[in-house]
Amino acid sequence: MSAPLLSVEDLSQHFGGLKAVEGVTLSVSRGEIVSVIGPNGAGKTTFFNVLTGVYPGTRGRVSFDGEPIRGLAPHEIVARGVSRTFQNIRLFADMSAAENVMVGRHARTRQLLLGPLLRTKAFLEEEKAVEARAVELLDFVGLRSLGNERARNLPYGAQRRLEIARALAAEPKLLILDEPTAGMNPVESAELVSLVRRVRERGVTVLLIEHQMRVVLDVSDRVAVFDYGVKIAEGAPRAVMADPRVIEAYLGREGA
Amino acid sequence: MRRLLSHRHAPALLFAAALTLPFVARAIEFSFLTRVGGVVGLMMLLSLGLNMTLGYVGLFDLGFIAFYAVGAYGTAILMRAHVPAPLAAALAVAAALAMRALLGVTILRLRGDYLAVVTMGFGEIARLTLNNLDAWTNGPKGLQVRPWRPLAFLGAIPGLEFVRKESNVQFYFLIAAAVYLAAEASRRLENSRVGRAWVAIREDETAAQLSGIPVARYKLLAFTLSAAFAGLAGSLFALWDQFVTPESFVFWESTLLVAIVVLGGMGSISGVLLGALLLGGIPLLMEATLSPRLIDYRYLFFGLILVLMTLFRPQGLLPSARREAELSS
Ligand SMILES: Nc1ncnc2c1ncn2[C@@H]1O[C@H](COP(=O)(O)OP(=O)(O)OP(=O)(O)O)[C@@H](O)[C@H]1O
Ligand SMILES: [Mg+2]
Repeated sequence: MSAPLLSVEDLSQHFGGLKAVEGVTLSVSRGEIVSVIGPNGAGKTTFFNVLTGVYPGTRGRVSFDGEPIRGLAPHEIVARGVSRTFQNIRLFADMSAAENVMVGRHARTRQLLLGPLLRTKAFLEEEKAVEARAVELLDFVGLRSLGNERARNLPYGAQRRLEIARALAAEPKLLILDEPTAGMNPVESAELVSLVRRVRERGVTVLLIEHQMRVVLDVSDRVAVFDYGVKIAEGAPRAVMADPRVIEAYLGREGA
Repeated sequence: MRRLLSHRHAPALLFAAALTLPFVARAIEFSFLTRVGGVVGLMMLLSLGLNMTLGYVGLFDLGFIAFYAVGAYGTAILMRAHVPAPLAAALAVAAALAMRALLGVTILRLRGDYLAVVTMGFGEIARLTLNNLDAWTNGPKGLQVRPWRPLAFLGAIPGLEFVRKESNVQFYFLIAAAVYLAAEASRRLENSRVGRAWVAIREDETAAQLSGIPVARYKLLAFTLSAAFAGLAGSLFALWDQFVTPESFVFWESTLLVAIVVLGGMGSISGVLLGALLLGGIPLLMEATLSPRLIDYRYLFFGLILVLMTLFRPQGLLPSARREAELSS
């Protein structure tokens, strides 16, 4: 039980000479909410991209649920139970909100060609279950009434929540959120904090990148700080924010 | 229009209406209309095929007509080897699928414009091969196909005696049935896990991948399956015309298919059918009724339509409607 859900050891991702992520070690236990913070360009998104298979990583180990996952294709990592959202919203703009969530169900469903072509019982049942699950998740993120709207027509905050519903549709054990409150006002951010807590209550572990310190303090059990691709601090939220190295990383950059 | 077309029984009603065309043509003594109907039907089949790759997945394919050619030549060659027509058609479709899969495995890593250029090249190579592979294709002189009258038995029905001799009418019915089945198959796939995965890839490939879809595999699936419709259309064409030449498979035809899908609405079955009716049917009727000098302007006419469409209605004439989820309960 005490084995961490996600364990990253000495992970690096280089782009030519640029060490976007360098020697990062981090572990996340089941049921935790962990935030990754750091100045712009610190390598946070790149770190998430390696975890989710977008980049292969240059060196290091990533194990999830006891198995190595570095270098697997993104869809294989989703199948193992890691889902994510994006810093710049990436929805299927021309599909309805409900369909976006239904796509998220792909890894947990089977029907290919014959089922739909012959409209077999198994196909119809699976479709019904997929739709029911989509409606349940839309409800969970507070978007049920907007389910038949095209994603592109949803308000900004709703699009962010829809991404979370789509990610949850794959039944992840770990949900990775890249700046879920970006562009939100304080009220929306507070709602998002409560949504993240409710996600955890569903039994999903959460790893997120966050810039708003209020949110970081409210939601995180633990915080890791990145700067220039390196993890410079880790610990309880308040302790980390009082850490001189962290203050310097932020102020130093802002002063430049 | 939208409401009418999305009605549950609309496809069956439209199909039934289409079946009356040969009778109308006979009544107004303009039997050429039945032939136009058959040609438009083949265009519809081809467009539904291209819709699967270009419409759903957004893969630009400027050489689609090559698989129409595979269906046609495959059928012609097998018919000359005394294979029964239905078997020849089935084998030709299988050949189109196999070649398409092979091409897909090779080129689907390419994106956007590169894919368009490479498929265009493939289309031209296919045509040149038909022109030069004399031993199999008889080169530019083309291949004769022995006659096949698929629905002659309908002549036994009182009132349908005329059908026995008229191959145009028989093939019209056969093609209409094929279009109906192809549209129904498209519709069923569209509203399923596979169709959703295809459209998701078109909308955002990265997000699709990170939502659990093996993108390369699903692209290949759509790319391959689309050739079944093209191969079937080609096969019906060869059996109907009893003659195939490389002339019929020029680059212009591939372009026209892209225009049909874009004009009608990418990924919209009703849109694509309407597009094929307009862009396929109008020129043929113009040819039959106007002077040849005006026909020369049809490319200009198409170009103009496409420019106007992209400017004022980029989503197409009948953009695809999304399925509604049952939200209350
Ligand atoms: N595909 C890539 N190729 C080359 N360099 C890249 C690539 N992706 C990211 N980088 C670089 O890696 C560094 C880290 O970028 P990353 O997006 O991970 O930062 P971040 O911490 O998420 O920043 P932000 O807070 O602005 O989102 C940056 O210098 C960026 O330019
Ligand atoms: Mg980032």
